[in-house]
Amino acid sequence: MTTTRREFIKTVGAAIASSQIPPEPAAMGATSDPVLKPAAIPRQAAAKQKVIYDQDNSGPFGTDILGTLMMLQADNIDLLGITLVTGDAWMKQEMAFTLRLLEMMGRTEIPVYPGAEFPMLNTKEEWLLRLQLYGGHRLDPWMGAFNRTSGGPEEIKPLPPPYDRFSKIKAQQDHAARFIIKTVRENPGEVTIYAGGPLTNLALAIALAPDIVPLVPEVVIMGTGFHAFTKAFNIFFDPEAARKVLRARWPKLSIVTVDIAEEIHEGDEIAPGRRMIEEIVSRAQSPISDLFQRYAVEPLKNNPNMHLFRMADEMVAAQVIDPSVFTKSEHMYVDICSTPGPRYGDSMFWPKNWQLLPNTGGRPVSLEDRRVFVDPRQFYLGPPPSAGLVNVLLTIDHDRFKKLFVDLMTKPIRGA
Amino acid sequence: MQRSSDLVAHSAMFSPVAQAPPEPAGKKKVIYDQDHRGPLSTDTVATLMLLQADNIDLLGICTVTCDMWAKQETAYALRLLEIMGRPEVPVYMGAEEPLLNTKDEAQMRYQMFGSRTLGNEGYLGCFAKDGGSRDEVMPLPAPYSRFAQIKAQPEPAADFIIRTIRANPNEVTMYCGGPMTNLALAAMLAPDIVPITKEVIFMGGGIHHSTSSVNVYFDAEAAKIGFRAGWPKFTLVTTDLAEEVHMADDGKVDYIVDHAHSPIADLFRRFEQKPQRDNSRRQSFRMPDEMMAAHVIDPSIFGGFDEMYIDIVTHNDGHYGDTSFWEGDWKDVGEGTELSGQNNPSIKAGRVQVLNGLDKRRFRELFIDLMTRPINRSKT
Repeated sequence: MTTTRREFIKTVGAAIASSQIPPEPAAMGATSDPVLKPAAIPRQAAAKQKVIYDQDNSGPFGTDILGTLMMLQADNIDLLGITLVTGDAWMKQEMAFTLRLLEMMGRTEIPVYPGAEFPMLNTKEEWLLRLQLYGGHRLDPWMGAFNRTSGGPEEIKPLPPPYDRFSKIKAQQDHAARFIIKTVRENPGEVTIYAGGPLTNLALAIALAPDIVPLVPEVVIMGTGFHAFTKAFNIFFDPEAARKVLRARWPKLSIVTVDIAEEIHEGDEIAPGRRMIEEIVSRAQSPISDLFQRYAVEPLKNNPNMHLFRMADEMVAAQVIDPSVFTKSEHMYVDICSTPGPRYGDSMFWPKNWQLLPNTGGRPVSLEDRRVFVDPRQFYLGPPPSAGLVNVLLTIDHDRFKKLFVDLMTKPIRGA
Repeated sequence: MQRSSDLVAHSAMFSPVAQAPPEPAGKKKVIYDQDHRGPLSTDTVATLMLLQADNIDLLGICTVTCDMWAKQETAYALRLLEIMGRPEVPVYMGAEEPLLNTKDEAQMRYQMFGSRTLGNEGYLGCFAKDGGSRDEVMPLPAPYSRFAQIKAQPEPAADFIIRTIRANPNEVTMYCGGPMTNLALAAMLAPDIVPITKEVIFMGGGIHHSTSSVNVYFDAEAAKIGFRAGWPKFTLVTTDLAEEVHMADDGKVDYIVDHAHSPIADLFRRFEQKPQRDNSRRQSFRMPDEMMAAHVIDPSIFGGFDEMYIDIVTHNDGHYGDTSFWEGDWKDVGEGTELSGQNNPSIKAGRVQVLNGLDKRRFRELFIDLMTRPINRSKT
């Protein structure tokens, strides 16, 4: 027993060293485990892409809701459940919007699970003190649920039109993290996780059940950045959770950074003189057309300088629905600073092939050259020991992305 | 703006959580969460105390990685229950890793900033260089001799904690003898359990002897979440208090070896008496978890407590996991002057009752009584 485990650990160590993603030990099947009872895992055949949609679904409109609409409209997606997390708004307010949106879209069969109401450690009071102590740190002062206008965690404001009223359908009783664990275990290797908000639910799920990590074919998250800002809201709202999730050895974790999200905005044109939002209002069915009319077209009429948001969560949805709209991606190491100082929530990246190579003037690099130049005691350019290896989406085909988005918004409402 | 409770549609938006009616109180209901180091340690001895006490209803044993990896600890806990004749006590394996801390970083922090300084401790539990790895389960020595036939429950410890506290509102004492990883996960998943937990008791941190201890700096984030959560009563055994009594003091070990029943006498003979005789300079450990167990079994052994505020440093540096304490009745000594606001606790500090006034004689009597009385095989 002990010998085989040791051998396995050696294999895993070698796999990590060669940057392959190793299978987690728990995936080996625990029948001979001296400690734990084995858990049976039934297997099902996949038809559509199974997705768990984890979101800080802040209504009535915005990048969160548009990501949700794309997932609801896509024919190739089997939405197993929506899990909510406090982020852009408080979880209970998001729940009210989400349940009602599902009713309006005729998709009441999709279960919605309440998730984390608070970040793991971050608090509003400390955030405000950090701003005073270290200064503000972003071009946009968004604090989400911690905004002065966001009320408290228990406050649920009435829903504006076209939502109009609270839903008749109710949330599930189970916690989001437990739903994630159960669903991934029941569908090993089949469930993609869309994570459009802070990563609190996902961090809780893998803390409770590390065995699910190798069973998720892909996690797609929105957050981090190189240039626009290294502090992205979803990350620095809960840096500890982000650090945990980004460090886990998922088979594949794709990141929509703020940099790529900034390339396309909701107010952009789809053809010269014709904006995406106007195209959608003229062709979409209710309630999508109503939402765009009230919350994009009209506000822009009243205030032509209004800033329409970057399409962050829409790009996460695109990666799940049709990853071919992204034309370049690269594996990189990433880590998150969770020291509660001025860089709390910062993201840091390192290239996957970080070795320093010598300049040999065209002569092929020999092993001897490598030994001299790549001595990590002299030059260490690599990541910290526990950094995660992730797939960073670098470029996107603007036209194809816009077409995918407009097509999904203007096609007939999908229905159950 | 409306409160959620004003909205009929919305107070019903979330399905109500099922709650079993409270059962009549008899024995004290305890969830025992422990980094259960075998074959014998302060962890295991505290387990023996709770198994032997007849006023304790041990609802379940949870394990958590720290002194050892959780799987190895679980193997020891299961087999200990078998050799003590208590296989009905369910065991739940808890967090196999801290929320964020990793072995590599723990090692590197020591290189960069130095290990814990004089008067402090450098102990890293299973994150020590030779601490093995997460999935390695080594064979158990005699008198354990083999792996248990009983198995751990498939439910994670955090879920068991949530379910049990909800089913027994205001009745469950949470004994946390290891890092608070399981407790922090439970409090994050189900904040509703916090106000209905009777008491949390934890060992860690210190004011004079050492400003931190492994249960805190092994998972500083979990400790910060646990201390800040706002439990009705949070009792703390500090390293200062735990240092007052050591296992080798006053001939306790020899007396237990001579008078205890099997397997307790055997455990003490092999793992306390013999090592002490083989090496007279061996430093026997303080008795932190035994003190927590004593507090659970008979709180009158402690004279009282100091109300204090506590908070934890989570900076990823040499101070990772340090504890800070403030007086519970702090006053703004500089009020109205430029010195105002110089002695307040941190904005989110947790309130704890720091035990003091240990009656050493009664503690010794209780301890020896529990270890030497006939093995308690009564089903809870």
